[in-house]
Amino acid sequence: MIKRLFVPTRLDEIPIGTRVIAYGLLGLWTLVVLFPLYWMAITSFKLPIDVANGPAYVPFVDFKPSLDAWHYIFVDLGPDTYRPYMNSLVIATLSTVAAVFLGSMAAYALARIEYKPPVAAVGLAVLMLALVVAAVGWGGVDLRIAVAVCGALFFLLLRPIVRRARRHLANDDIIFWMISQRILPPVVTVIPIYLTFKSAGLLDTRTALIITYATANLPIVVWLMFDFFASVPKEIEESAQIDGATRFAILFGIVVPLVAPGIVATGLLVLILSWNEYLFALFLSTANAQTLPLLVAAQNATRGPQWWNMSVLILIMILPVMLLTLTLQRFIVKGILVGAVKG
Amino acid sequence: MKCIKRASVAVAFAVAGFMAAGHALAAGEFQGVTVNVMTFVGPQIAEPLQRRAPEFEKLTGAKINILTVPFSDLYQKLLTDWASGTNSVNAAVFAPQWMVDYTKGGFLEDLSARVARDPALQEDDVMPFFRDFSQRFNGKTYLIALDGDFQMVYYRTDILKQLGKQPPKTWDEYLDIAKAANGKVFGGDGKPVAGSCISKKRNAQAYWAIISIAGGYIQSKGTAQGAFFDPRDFKPLVNNDAFKAALNVYKQSTQYGPPNEINLDVGDTRSAFISGHCALTLDWGDIGVLAIDPKQSKVIDKVGAVMLPGSTKVLNRDTGKLVACDKNTCPYAVDGVNHAPFAAFGGWSGGINAKASPKVKDAAYAFLSYMSQPAQANVDVTIGATGFNPYRRSQFTDMSIWKKSGMSDAAAASYLGAIKASLQSPNMVIDLRIPQNQRYEQVVLDTAVARFLAGELDADATMKAIQTGWDEITDDAGKDAQLKAYKASIGAH
Amino acid sequence: MQSSSRVSSSAASRRGSRRSVAANWLDRQAPYVFVLPAVLLILGFSIFPLVTSAYLSLMRFALGEGGYELKFVGMRNYVRLFSGSQQFHFVGVFRPPGVISIAVMAAAALAIGWWLVRYLRGGQRSVIGGIGRLIAAASLLAVVWLAANTTGDGGALGSLMVTLFYVVFGVALQFLLGLGLAYLCTLPLKGGRFFRILFFLPLMVTPVGIAYMFRMMADTAVGPLAPLWAWLGLGQIAWAADPWLARIVVVIGDTWQWVPFMFLVLLAALEGTSRDQIEAAQLDGASSWRIFRDVIWPSIAPVAASAVLIRLIEAFKVVDLPNVLTNGGPGIATESMTLHAFIEWRTLNLGSASAVAYMLFFVSTIACVSFFQLVVRRARGRQS
Repeated sequence: MIKRLFVPTRLDEIPIGTRVIAYGLLGLWTLVVLFPLYWMAITSFKLPIDVANGPAYVPFVDFKPSLDAWHYIFVDLGPDTYRPYMNSLVIATLSTVAAVFLGSMAAYALARIEYKPPVAAVGLAVLMLALVVAAVGWGGVDLRIAVAVCGALFFLLLRPIVRRARRHLANDDIIFWMISQRILPPVVTVIPIYLTFKSAGLLDTRTALIITYATANLPIVVWLMFDFFASVPKEIEESAQIDGATRFAILFGIVVPLVAPGIVATGLLVLILSWNEYLFALFLSTANAQTLPLLVAAQNATRGPQWWNMSVLILIMILPVMLLTLTLQRFIVKGILVGAVKG
Repeated sequence: MKCIKRASVAVAFAVAGFMAAGHALAAGEFQGVTVNVMTFVGPQIAEPLQRRAPEFEKLTGAKINILTVPFSDLYQKLLTDWASGTNSVNAAVFAPQWMVDYTKGGFLEDLSARVARDPALQEDDVMPFFRDFSQRFNGKTYLIALDGDFQMVYYRTDILKQLGKQPPKTWDEYLDIAKAANGKVFGGDGKPVAGSCISKKRNAQAYWAIISIAGGYIQSKGTAQGAFFDPRDFKPLVNNDAFKAALNVYKQSTQYGPPNEINLDVGDTRSAFISGHCALTLDWGDIGVLAIDPKQSKVIDKVGAVMLPGSTKVLNRDTGKLVACDKNTCPYAVDGVNHAPFAAFGGWSGGINAKASPKVKDAAYAFLSYMSQPAQANVDVTIGATGFNPYRRSQFTDMSIWKKSGMSDAAAASYLGAIKASLQSPNMVIDLRIPQNQRYEQVVLDTAVARFLAGELDADATMKAIQTGWDEITDDAGKDAQLKAYKASIGAH
Repeated sequence: MQSSSRVSSSAASRRGSRRSVAANWLDRQAPYVFVLPAVLLILGFSIFPLVTSAYLSLMRFALGEGGYELKFVGMRNYVRLFSGSQQFHFVGVFRPPGVISIAVMAAAALAIGWWLVRYLRGGQRSVIGGIGRLIAAASLLAVVWLAANTTGDGGALGSLMVTLFYVVFGVALQFLLGLGLAYLCTLPLKGGRFFRILFFLPLMVTPVGIAYMFRMMADTAVGPLAPLWAWLGLGQIAWAADPWLARIVVVIGDTWQWVPFMFLVLLAALEGTSRDQIEAAQLDGASSWRIFRDVIWPSIAPVAASAVLIRLIEAFKVVDLPNVLTNGGPGIATESMTLHAFIEWRTLNLGSASAVAYMLFFVSTIACVSFFQLVVRRARGRQS
């Protein structure tokens, strides 16, 4: 009897026993996912005294729901809520678009073209960059002069070095180098980036955050999109090339529509990362460019976390992302299916 | 005749107008000026600023932007903004302890002249302690006091009555009451009560509690004797029998507290107390006003306050041992008990960025003065949500404002009495106000005490860790400079 | 990845009448145009911070007249982390090794030594490979030694070990859960689509928000699970007062947030596995376990390795959860290295903060590069 519960009768049918267990486990995890979110939702309708009294689970039964927290966030804090909200929207969208655009181009190139930068040339580039940093930072040289001089030096020295170069890097190394940028803990980079934007006069602006997020998320876009591009059959592109189309036309006209699901999936992931980022936003903004995660963290007042206000903020933070995900969900599932599988 | 009459009327108006201008803010005076004021996230402290900003704008035309950041980030956010020359923050409301670090770089505007010219501020009404220690440094006024901070012990009058106990005068009595009350039910919602709720969370505001407890054991001869360091040689006063006794009291109180007390920060203990789940607590002045708020409090009219308990034994600084209290060792003892009220944190005060433009500085000063003037301040200190606690004499003497806020006479007498007793004590402990005080307190002291509570270190190892950590910071900063700054801050010579 | 570029572009240029000279030139520059913006941006934002942080970690920051001043102190910040006043904070508190510790260390040393020897004797050796493996082996031995000497009675973990604990256990847990859930979703059950969207939800919440959410949930007094604990008789246990319980709560929060990522990636991989092979194996009468081991696992290995690598890289940087849940307590038990650096930075101890951050960078690099070379490359190699 027990055996019959678990042994499949047909190849693609699930025996009842397994089905029950499967649904059970999935249901359990659904509970794990939904319960904290549910708790947060009802907390946003609680008064401070309701929270301090102990857990109250069902509105209207255990406690009387009140719109106090919502009122505080939207009316009392009015402009102080809308401003971070708009900032978050603009910053996340623009930085995602930039990252996906630049990253996809780079990923396509890395998937199709074989790069063989000589190690020496790479070393030269790094050396020149370090020289610029040193000159501007401690020599007090003007940035433009430093860049011009080092740029000229770089191009001058490039030819002879390339001619004599022996060892080369491969595409794989380039991709790994990019993803290794994510290893850099933000804590390491945040102060120098702060100083950079300060000297550019871009502190507390949306631009600074857009550039930072786009750069921080570029590696992920390249890493993910590389697999998608690599899985597109080459024949389509080759026939287009023979017909005389430029690389740009091939990329944007032919290949991109083929990997659209992948682009959407990657874009969504990057959007989430930018939308939820906290550390750089904390550093690079004071008043004008504050984003929503800062507002959430700020509800932890010295004299206690304001759970009710916080819940409201978290909910309105999830909302746009959830809506976006729901509208694009067919792409996500299909997108991840198409790529990332062939390695 | 008519001419003279008209002239005299005109003169009278002129004189009146001149006098009025000295007191009132001229409408439209700061039209078009925007002031960025930074403080930590509300509602405490930020709420009254945000509430009064539109009023101020109507009065003067200046637009006040209140920028808020989480408390633990405020110190470095202000420093980063000012030290890097970004200067997007024009004024800030912060802890007066940090004034030391900020004036070192010349970031704060000297307000002495402005204050002297401002009768509306009524600076004499501000209690001398706050005037001298919250507003002034090195003889100059840099800040405007908006709040007065003292740690006190609060108790449930009904629970103590039921247990037949008196409000605690020493820490042993405190533990006694906590033990007796812990785990018992005293009505309310039928849940057992915790004997003592003290915030012990790391990296929050818990690290002042240990000084509140230790003060009574360490300092007995007046503020100038110092409670953190010995002003004779700058030796940290944290490695002796007195501090050990305090650590033991601190740890023992955990036994009578809620199970996760180690993870409770001030907000959690506060809400636990006013929702009726604690018999005793150690906190700033907020509980007095929060307890009468019907939206949050279940203990309206059941709360009493008392000055910080003290000790009958005090430290002999040469031997490091405790000696009994007598006329010589404890000249300020009350009934044989040495009390050392602790002005923890000092009280939120407002300062102005020295590099802001003159018009912005004027507008910022006018706003801070407006917030501090009795007409506004005396209302704000009676509202729990503001986080402003009494600091002006008129707030102690004028009972009508408390009555209006809903405090009963008994509650007001107890609450204000405790604060007044603390303020009038000649043996007050001043919070640490030397360069890098943040590191001494928030990093070294807080970490060591947290490890002690977690059981990782015993009392001796904890004291050693604090002393080593403090000595290291002192060596970095220069011992002579620190000693000089310390002596200046406590008024020692 | 073949370089068809040279062949086709010369072929195309022969037919160049279709395109203008400018378009031709642009097309030849395409390789650079495509890749350079990304490379330059990343390069710019990585060199400068790296160099400046290294510089800062050798300095002591102090406020001075009109701003701040930096004083050169050499390696003092680093020395302090390993043997000076911050040793307890970073490395931990040592205890005299017991029998078990010595046994574990010996076993680890033997295993790693044998693995190294096998590589050196093997066919494909190279200088770089050898050096890399040597570094990995040395680091692993050091970690085992540290773990053996700081856990247990009398010892305490420092932020280094705590971070490694979060990374290893967290990622392992997330991988297993993600794999399990993905496998369940590949079964022909109704409502599969519903589960997929649902399980994606946790990823959408900002980490700071998740931290506060879990703090609410884990509160033993007013949290929603309080009656459950009380019923189980655990009502008086303060998870926040016990170092290991607190760390586990952090791992739970981290897992809740990141399982969706693993789930999605592994789901895609599983669905890409060739159905024919599975059916063939089933027809042969193989058990589910054998099918999984021999058919499914090799097929998803590259993607799984990739996903684990990405997750590893991010896991080293965990800061929001321990910060909000326990502020790094009890004591310093839940402090990750990023949190350690963050706390130092809050009091503007920039030199110390940069030193800790750099140590995190080193540790993370060694771990991730080793993982990439040893696991990801091998998994990808097996596929092709």
